[in-house]
Amino acid sequence: MQLDNRKRELVKEFSPMLEKTSLLTKIWIVTLISIISVGIYAFVIQFKEGHIVTGMRDNVVWGLYIINFIFFVCLSYSGAFISGILHFFRTPWKNSVTRIVEIITVLSIIVGPIFILLCIGRLDRLYFLFLYPRIQSPITWDIIAIITDLVGCFIYLYLTFIPDFAILRDSPDLKLPSWRKKLYKYLAINFQDTPDQRKRLHNTTSIMSKMVIAMAIVAYTVLAWIFSLTLQPGWNSTIFAPDFIVAGLYSGVSVIIIAMYLIRKYFKLEKYIVKSHFIMAAMVLLVLSLLLGYFTFSDYFAKWFSHKIADIDLLHTLFGHYFWMFILANYVGFIIPLVILSIKKLRTIKLITFAALIAVLGLWLNRYLIVIPTLETPYLPIQDTRPEFIQYTATWVEWSLSFAGIAAFLLFFTLLIKFIPIISMSGIIDDERRKLKTKEDANKSISYK
Amino acid sequence: MKSNLYNHPFFISIIVALLVNINGIAQQSDLSNYRTRFDFKTVKQVDNSRLLEVTFMALNKTDRKDQLPVYEAEIQFFNILNDEEMLLGTSKTSNEGIAQLILPENQKYRTDGEGYINLRARFNGTAALSEEEGDLMVKDLHLDLNLTEIDSVKTVTLTAFTVDSLGVKTPVSDVDIITYVKAMLSKMNIDEGTISDGEYSFTMPQNFAGNPQGNLTITSIIDDNDEFGNIIQEKTVHWGTFNKPLKQDKNMLWTKAAPIWMYVVLTILLLGVWINYIYTIANLFIIKKEGDNLSSEPKKNYTVK
Repeated sequence: MQLDNRKRELVKEFSPMLEKTSLLTKIWIVTLISIISVGIYAFVIQFKEGHIVTGMRDNVVWGLYIINFIFFVCLSYSGAFISGILHFFRTPWKNSVTRIVEIITVLSIIVGPIFILLCIGRLDRLYFLFLYPRIQSPITWDIIAIITDLVGCFIYLYLTFIPDFAILRDSPDLKLPSWRKKLYKYLAINFQDTPDQRKRLHNTTSIMSKMVIAMAIVAYTVLAWIFSLTLQPGWNSTIFAPDFIVAGLYSGVSVIIIAMYLIRKYFKLEKYIVKSHFIMAAMVLLVLSLLLGYFTFSDYFAKWFSHKIADIDLLHTLFGHYFWMFILANYVGFIIPLVILSIKKLRTIKLITFAALIAVLGLWLNRYLIVIPTLETPYLPIQDTRPEFIQYTATWVEWSLSFAGIAAFLLFFTLLIKFIPIISMSGIIDDERRKLKTKEDANKSISYK
Repeated sequence: MKSNLYNHPFFISIIVALLVNINGIAQQSDLSNYRTRFDFKTVKQVDNSRLLEVTFMALNKTDRKDQLPVYEAEIQFFNILNDEEMLLGTSKTSNEGIAQLILPENQKYRTDGEGYINLRARFNGTAALSEEEGDLMVKDLHLDLNLTEIDSVKTVTLTAFTVDSLGVKTPVSDVDIITYVKAMLSKMNIDEGTISDGEYSFTMPQNFAGNPQGNLTITSIIDDNDEFGNIIQEKTVHWGTFNKPLKQDKNMLWTKAAPIWMYVVLTILLLGVWINYIYTIANLFIIKKEGDNLSSEPKKNYTVK
């Protein structure tokens, strides 16, 4: 009975998020839709004219799209990884962040692969990939990994949502349209929160959490192999797979921190998302920044020391044409978060969020430096010496579609948190049930004495 | 208009310092600072021709590193006997300061009573450079390199002798000789010894790879001998043990079908994951069924108060 009351309290607390849409939210949604519309217009142009409207040419065949693809897919894998870890270890403070992480995971695995579709010159031949797959090709492995991961993430996300759907279904006073109530009822699959159902759902979720951790590692590795199994200078590196894992986690934790900050601020969730959440995330980010800095240094140092002509050409490009980007990505992107996070006095919520923002931007630039300079310094000299064939510059079409992708991610996020509370109500109830049980067990043992 | 340069004394002082720096002044070539080096040597080559070579350099008296080749200098080569010079030929020094003259195997030389060929190289001098001259005396040594294989034992035999005017062969002794095998970038020393009674032999070490055809080039050299100068002899023999790869590696990734293990690994991984998905979905159906069974009982509603 005590827990039923608590459920009522929680529904009451979170109902405004689900029932009302403020003017600011409406403006925000309209802005995002406008950005997406510009992106759709850019896509129509690209579809009609072909890739000539982008900065991609014969040598630099990958541009902003593939960078965004890596960024979003890594974000998703890191989300799955972190979410799995939080669930697997039953972290006590997980309820406040786990929903954010899960939503980021699913949305980024939806948005990420859209960029790879934009990268394909002949979309009409896309089905060839499925009709004539080459099992030897890392691209095929990646397609399989992404599809498997997408399905796995959806199932995992749904499993974690079921108890909350049930709570929302059993709250008739929520001022929601009838279709939403019906949808909650349908999605709750008659979950009545009985001990049997709870146990079964918990066990299933627990297995899936382990599965998503393993899948994230495999998928990360396959994504890294798309690059590192080629002989291109700068890509053919054994450290790429672990580097991608750490880099993905680095960006994932950073985006989670930023999302926590914005959600806490906008929905006034200071009670649930407390400073210690930021401190914990900051500690993880600090360790990851050290690891990623070490991996990056090790990779570039080995290239410089071995003095292979192609690698040296690449380093000349990185320290020449891309000097400032290299500094921003590999020095500022690591050092500023490192300084902020390692000094106790600087570990305030705002500064931790600022460090996370710098880390995200630095990591995006880092991905840019992995892709573009390598394609600009091929083994064979570039035959066509027109500047656009030698140096890649993204066009407005690519930027529009990139921003449209980010806008789509934010729009889906906004809509999803209008549909389900951003704080896991069932998680809070579970914790309180566990505490209650521990208390009862303690009382029993006292009475026996 | 007042110059802005006066506002920057630091930069001005650096520019002035650079202007007056002695290293900044263009150097003038002054031959009085140099002395010349005129090295003359002879090498009896593999085909028994004789190379006469002069290296003509100008060396800075104070700076050892400053060496300039004297190029386009005409060098005359002579065979001399009793102060009588017989011109063998002329050659001009190259950009590296080296002048070479190759005399064929059948070249006739005048020899002194002891059988020495007296050779002279001369630069006649110019207005700037003084005359240079170098003399050599060597005996004509015949060096034969024989490579034999008896009962799988590979033996290198060297015979060395001089021939006098009557055609009598005289074996030589106490002549040091080094034998090499030609490698890709340099020569590899395989034996050092001394010719005695006109002969020296050794057993060839085993397991030299040789070139892709299995050939080895063996070179024997008498280096800067007081009596005979430099002599080189060389032969190529099929003694290499080049191991051809038994099977040419095929890149399995270029074939139509992937390697079997790849299919196996992928199948195991995918089956593992997808079976788990099916298991999860089956559990959801069980949960639903359990819920359906409970649906007859009154539902609990959480009223928002």
